[in-house]
Amino acid sequence: MHRLLFICAALCLAVCSITAGAQDLRVPASVTAGDEATIPTTGSGKANFYLVGPGVSRKSDLTLGEEIHLQGQELRNAGDYLVLVCSDTCHSGTFFVTAAKPASLAFLVHPSRVPVGLGDAVSGVALPFDQFHNLVLSPATVNFQLTAGDKSQFSRPVRTQNGVAWFRTASGKSAGAVQVIASLEDLSSKRAVQQVASDPCNLRITGQRIPIGILVQTEPVHDCAGNVVPDGTIVTFSATEANGKSTVDAPIKQGVARAKIEASGETVVSVASGVVMGNELRIGAKP
Amino acid sequence: MSSIITSKIYLRCAQRVAWIAAFLCAAVFSSYGADAAVQVQLDTKKASPRAVESLTERGILRDYRFAWTSIAQAMEANTLDPLEGPFAGSAKQMLRDTVVSQQHSGLTRQYLNQSHRLEAVFYAPEGDVMELHDSAEYDLRISDGGKIIHDEHVVMHFVVLMTPGADRWVIRQLQATPQS
Repeated sequence: MHRLLFICAALCLAVCSITAGAQDLRVPASVTAGDEATIPTTGSGKANFYLVGPGVSRKSDLTLGEEIHLQGQELRNAGDYLVLVCSDTCHSGTFFVTAAKPASLAFLVHPSRVPVGLGDAVSGVALPFDQFHNLVLSPATVNFQLTAGDKSQFSRPVRTQNGVAWFRTASGKSAGAVQVIASLEDLSSKRAVQQVASDPCNLRITGQRIPIGILVQTEPVHDCAGNVVPDGTIVTFSATEANGKSTVDAPIKQGVARAKIEASGETVVSVASGVVMGNELRIGAKP
Repeated sequence: MSSIITSKIYLRCAQRVAWIAAFLCAAVFSSYGADAAVQVQLDTKKASPRAVESLTERGILRDYRFAWTSIAQAMEANTLDPLEGPFAGSAKQMLRDTVVSQQHSGLTRQYLNQSHRLEAVFYAPEGDVMELHDSAEYDLRISDGGKIIHDEHVVMHFVVLMTPGADRWVIRQLQATPQS
């Protein structure tokens, strides 16, 4: 069986081989990266053989009439190769080495952190490479998947064009880590995107007078999809009384922002975070 | 009388020296000019999904031209230095391997009269990778120990991946393909 395959391969190579111009040097039409190849020569006597290609520049002695053996290691880079056989004159031939089957997927995903519910916010680009790091240009289907926990958020097969497949989609509705996977046959590449709460929604505050002023605090701060806004998000409290206005910035801690405001008269306290305004609170003067 | 003859001799010598100097200068500059004059045209109309900004276009033109000038210098002088900067990843490794292989075999390559018609075919949504197709023409001259063994006009198609670096666009993939 192996012999039969070998004979078939040899016949294919012979059929596929081309003659380089008027010169009597027959080179293979194309070779897959990493494969070996042979080039027959004619005539007799000594000659110099040259192989000039990407990553290789070989010179060796040659007895005309014998086959030239090209090792897989010499043909690992995809690209054009020039073969020269020089005795009295030089004969030449060129052939291409094409990428082998995909062995890895380069996968670029943006961004690493994204607010929920944003259109066209997550994108990814996948490029298949063979084991020798050649870009695989023959079309292949890459499956893109976004999963949050065990829930699939997005799934799409994309055919590579010129060795590239890409997608773009909206972010999901729930905060948390999202796994982004690009897969091609038995290859897959994973990235993570952290979905975070969007801007606060329905910002509400409560407050009370204390001996040194007013203590105000927000109710638990959520975005419009109900995700808890992350700690550290700044909430701004503004207090307006008869003799002036004061402002305090407070970070959210465990879902709630608190601030103490020094004010003795009747005071109106308002709250904002980013571009979102909350309710106003009217607190009477200190008794 | 003798002083007139002496001054005529000096004049002839000076003329000869001037001619030789002019000839040498012309030879040096014509050789340098052939390498330095890398012509690059860039068409970004088909780039998608992201459009190529004009500033990016200028950067690509500048850096691609510089990259090919560097390839020509590295391959002609068999030195790795020109490859530092314009290349990264597998393109850099492949070019380094080529130079090292040439150093062992004693071969050199010259890429003369280069002309590149570059077309951007893919520009990633976030601008972190660009694929370009280059229809290149150049005269390829291969020498063995200083003796030219091959000289031909080459038309070649390259698939190129470029990514933005700190201060320039670098070539990560440079792969010749059969003309599509």
